Amino acid sequence: MEALEDVVKEGVDAETVEAVKGVAGKYKYGFATDIETEYAPLGLNEDIVRLISSKNDEPEWLLEWRLDAYRRWLKLDEPDWAMVNYPKIDFQNIYYYAQPVSMKEKPKSLDEVDPKLLETYAKLGIPLREQALLAGVEMPEGERKVAVDAVFDSVSVGTTFKEELGRAGVIFCSFSEAVKDHPELVRKYLGTVVPSTDNYYATLNSAVFSDGSFVFIPEGVKCPMELSTYFRINAENTGQFERTLIIAEKGAQVSYLEGCTAPQRDTNQLHAAVVEIILLEDADVKYSTVQNWYPGDENGVGGIYNFVTKRADCRGDRSKIMWTQVETGSAITWKYPSCILRGDDSQGEFYSIAIANNYQQADTGTKMIHLGKRTKSRIVSKGISAGHAQNTYRGLVTMHPKATGSRNYTQCDSLLIGNKCGAHTVPYIEVKNNSSRVEHEATTSKVDDDQLFYCLQRGVGEEEAIALIVNGFVKEVLQSLPMEFAMEAQKLVAISLEGSVG
Amino acid sequence: MLKIKNLKASLEDEDKQILKGIDLEIGAGEVHAIMGPNGSGKSTLSYVLSGKGGYVVDEGSATLDGADLLDMAPEERAAAGLFLAFQYPVEIPGVGNMTFLRTAVNSQRKARGEDELNAAEFLKLVRIEAKSLKIDAEMLKRPVNVGFSGGEKKRNEILQMAMLAPKMCILDETDSGLDVDAMKLVAEGVNAMRNGKRSFLIITHYQRLLDHIKPDVVHIMANGRIIKSGGPELALEVENNGYADLLNEVA
Amino acid sequence: MALAANKVEATEALIAAYPAPEGEGKWSRDARARALETLRQSGAPVRRDEYWKFTNPARLLEPVKSATIMETDEAPVFDGVDKLLVVFVDGVLRADLSDDLTMEGVEIETLATAMSKDIHWVGDVYGVLEANGQKPVPRPFAALNTAVATEGLVIRVTGKATKPIAFRYLRSGLDADVMVHTVIKLEKGADLTLLENGSGAARFNSSLEVEIADGAAFHHVRTQGRDHARLAATHIFARLGKESRFKSFTLTVNGALTRNEAVLEFTGDDAFATISGASAGDGAYHHDDTVFVTHNALNCESRQVFKKVLRNGATGVFQGKILVYAHAQKTDGYQIAQGLMLDEDCTFLAKPELEIYADDVICSHGSTCGAVDEAAIFYLTSRGVPKAVAQDMLVLAFMDQAIEEIEDEALAEEIRTRLGDWMERHRG
Repeated sequence: MEALEDVVKEGVDAETVEAVKGVAGKYKYGFATDIETEYAPLGLNEDIVRLISSKNDEPEWLLEWRLDAYRRWLKLDEPDWAMVNYPKIDFQNIYYYAQPVSMKEKPKSLDEVDPKLLETYAKLGIPLREQALLAGVEMPEGERKVAVDAVFDSVSVGTTFKEELGRAGVIFCSFSEAVKDHPELVRKYLGTVVPSTDNYYATLNSAVFSDGSFVFIPEGVKCPMELSTYFRINAENTGQFERTLIIAEKGAQVSYLEGCTAPQRDTNQLHAAVVEIILLEDADVKYSTVQNWYPGDENGVGGIYNFVTKRADCRGDRSKIMWTQVETGSAITWKYPSCILRGDDSQGEFYSIAIANNYQQADTGTKMIHLGKRTKSRIVSKGISAGHAQNTYRGLVTMHPKATGSRNYTQCDSLLIGNKCGAHTVPYIEVKNNSSRVEHEATTSKVDDDQLFYCLQRGVGEEEAIALIVNGFVKEVLQSLPMEFAMEAQKLVAISLEGSVG
Repeated sequence: MLKIKNLKASLEDEDKQILKGIDLEIGAGEVHAIMGPNGSGKSTLSYVLSGKGGYVVDEGSATLDGADLLDMAPEERAAAGLFLAFQYPVEIPGVGNMTFLRTAVNSQRKARGEDELNAAEFLKLVRIEAKSLKIDAEMLKRPVNVGFSGGEKKRNEILQMAMLAPKMCILDETDSGLDVDAMKLVAEGVNAMRNGKRSFLIITHYQRLLDHIKPDVVHIMANGRIIKSGGPELALEVENNGYADLLNEVA
Repeated sequence: MALAANKVEATEALIAAYPAPEGEGKWSRDARARALETLRQSGAPVRRDEYWKFTNPARLLEPVKSATIMETDEAPVFDGVDKLLVVFVDGVLRADLSDDLTMEGVEIETLATAMSKDIHWVGDVYGVLEANGQKPVPRPFAALNTAVATEGLVIRVTGKATKPIAFRYLRSGLDADVMVHTVIKLEKGADLTLLENGSGAARFNSSLEVEIADGAAFHHVRTQGRDHARLAATHIFARLGKESRFKSFTLTVNGALTRNEAVLEFTGDDAFATISGASAGDGAYHHDDTVFVTHNALNCESRQVFKKVLRNGATGVFQGKILVYAHAQKTDGYQIAQGLMLDEDCTFLAKPELEIYADDVICSHGSTCGAVDEAAIFYLTSRGVPKAVAQDMLVLAFMDQAIEEIEDEALAEEIRTRLGDWMERHRG
């Protein structure tokens, strides 16, 4: 870890101190929106799958694809290899579809969206107006824009900047719209990175996904603004199953952000998403997530079960994918954003901060599958455990015989705060050619006493001091985030560690 | 001694020519210096002459006493009497400095059909050379270059040079990263080896090393070619006016 | 959970393949019954088991196949070391070829003698450390060994042994299928070095249980070699008392399949353990080091250092785990596994795992894999060292970090010499 002075000096870290001081509630997104909601009948069967499909006016092939997945899912067992413990999920006691009644007739434009929904997003700091606004930070008009697709329970509420993006040839819309407006693209790419047979939760998602985001960046286009999707679970006892599909054609570039929150409830809720990214030659995609689902309370009651499959397929030579994730929420996190480095000279990067406090359990990491020649990957994972939490890094780096001249570097550090929590590291390394080089380093330690003392001696309170030190610990990852996200994430790091001392 | 004719060489991985036709002749006992701005190809020349992988010779020749250097493996070039003092000597954990030095000395002797040195003879030689370079016994025991300071690494290079007694020594930016005292020590080591027969090619960015090791000829290299040659005064000219004037003059 | 029918079948076939020992004393009957129960619960391993992901156990389960004995004029390892020699031929102790089993401060008995008694101190160790080591991951071949092995020694060390005990495993039969089980109990402050060498058998299953009392020290240096087609599944189970020391090093060269499992547990504070290995394989060679270190006491230090040199299609595996319980504060755990691939088509598989519940610890692991460093090769050759010699120097340097874990310098030198010879023979 770098010298504390450096950490403290930087203005951006002073923000952390402010953030820590400014936190009143433990989870500030825990409010629920009182809105009339229409549910599908409770539980899961083929009729539910058909209902979801019909809600989105889907073509026959997609319904069949869903039904195939559903039938396969029935035969699968829930995976038990992750270091997470939770009561068995009763899949028949979940609503698989919930939409605000006001969304029944899809609004033609954002102006027609139910004010209650707009208000909800405003409260979350997510601008659904076409202004340059994010996270409450006002930007001069025209300087920086972020397009947002807002998903509320099972439906997309609206997508901003569609026309402006359209002029650049970029398609950014909800998944259900994409199925209607660009069926050829959806059919060509859906399930080609994460097949419907992939794993228990991905198969479930394939059967019941209700909406999500769709991105298409045509050949040679650098997306003129950052794209983002904001997921909000509101309805009680409802699962959210969204699907994101991003296609970056030759030479295309895009930076995509994802955020998620949910109300504070004492029951658990399931979130099982799938993200597929396809990169053709020279494409460059950055995918950043700040996952802040409700984590449950300090006794481990409530919280989201987050079982997510994310994968990027670098099909084209020299394509580049970068995953950055800040995982602070959810009672259970089960998530391994992966890179298939198929194209020669393609690159994959994974930067992760996972913070587990109280009774949270996180089992997260990545897979780097090197198939092409001279492919490169880099993994930087920072795990922090506090309270009674369990935090596991699980990763795979594999160099296939034909992936000659490839490289991987993995740095995987864990920090423990208190002795009631656990930090675990489970890396798999498989090297099948000799011209590739793989380096893996991992450390586990506690907050450095000297650094802590230094802060205390300077009059910083213990909790704030730990937030500061932790921010130093995760800095390398924060730096890979887009700037506003980095600041938001930094505050989140501090907030997530609340109550971890003493 | 060393004859380089129209030498052109490229990076193997990229289609990029670094040396674009070098002509250079160094007679027995002569000291030549090559100066030039960063990226002019100075280090590449030293690597191509000593046989480092990753470069392709496109054209031209390089001979040492008439023997074709470019056709030989690196160890054959060494046995033929070519020595390169590296700009960045490699750290080799686990291989003892002494073991390495003895293996090198005896491999070369063997390749030249000479008797190998026994442990006692070898030790005696090392002690003498190490002492004059202020290299202590502890440094000799450590693994090759591991944990050595910049100055220690360079002194270790000169120690190897003294032990291997080559005909043709190339010093690649041996002065970089050295303070004045360390540079003097290195220069003394080099000067002690000048004997009227042994030749030197000194690659450097600055004139200061040449205050201590007086060159017979100075070459200015830019963009893969030698653009000007002259006496020691050329080095001073560079020191005073920088490379810009020279480059313009040629252009 | 109940086992699948096919797994039950395979397990019963495995048990049936070995004759049940008869006419033994009470403690051994009990120990064997417990081990059989363990084996039946876990079942014979299959490739799909997570713990056998990198090494296919099938060849360890099939009827044994002949393995050619390599002719050599080399002297056996540790030949020049002053030792108490114990010779096993095809897994059977040969008193005629061995030294007298007497040494000051050490009591040595054959396993068979101990087993014939109804009550024996070894009943507290035999199969007990093995049973502890069955959680959280089963070790079916160790349970099988406990259930059926009749050869081996039972050693109690009360003082500082004056010289090492050396096991030499010789072969006469091409298809010997051997099981050896040795128990060593070091009393307070005792000190013993155990040496092992020889390829043992066409298939060799060994189990070594070592109980190390407070302040005692155990040193172990082993070489496994030479015959190309031999198979081995070995196990070390050690329990470390307060301020005790454990050091084990294994050199493996050749062998079609070797799985070396080591299971260490710190039960007393301020103890130290290192488990290390250097292995070199050429061709149809599969070598697996599987290590599990449990820190169950304060302020203990453990080191795992494994180096694998692979050429010509060889495979090297490392599965290592450090488990630190919440009360095992001040733990220092270190783990490194490195593969050096001399040819294109080699495979290096590693799973270096940490499971940590205490906060005041320093645990780290590292793993690297790649070819010989070209920059180092160039440096060495530019000084006139021939390329093959330069490569050997780098390979030996690579291995040396594991060999340095051996405390006795003379033994370390013996290992270096062996490796040097192997490299000479296998120079690419």
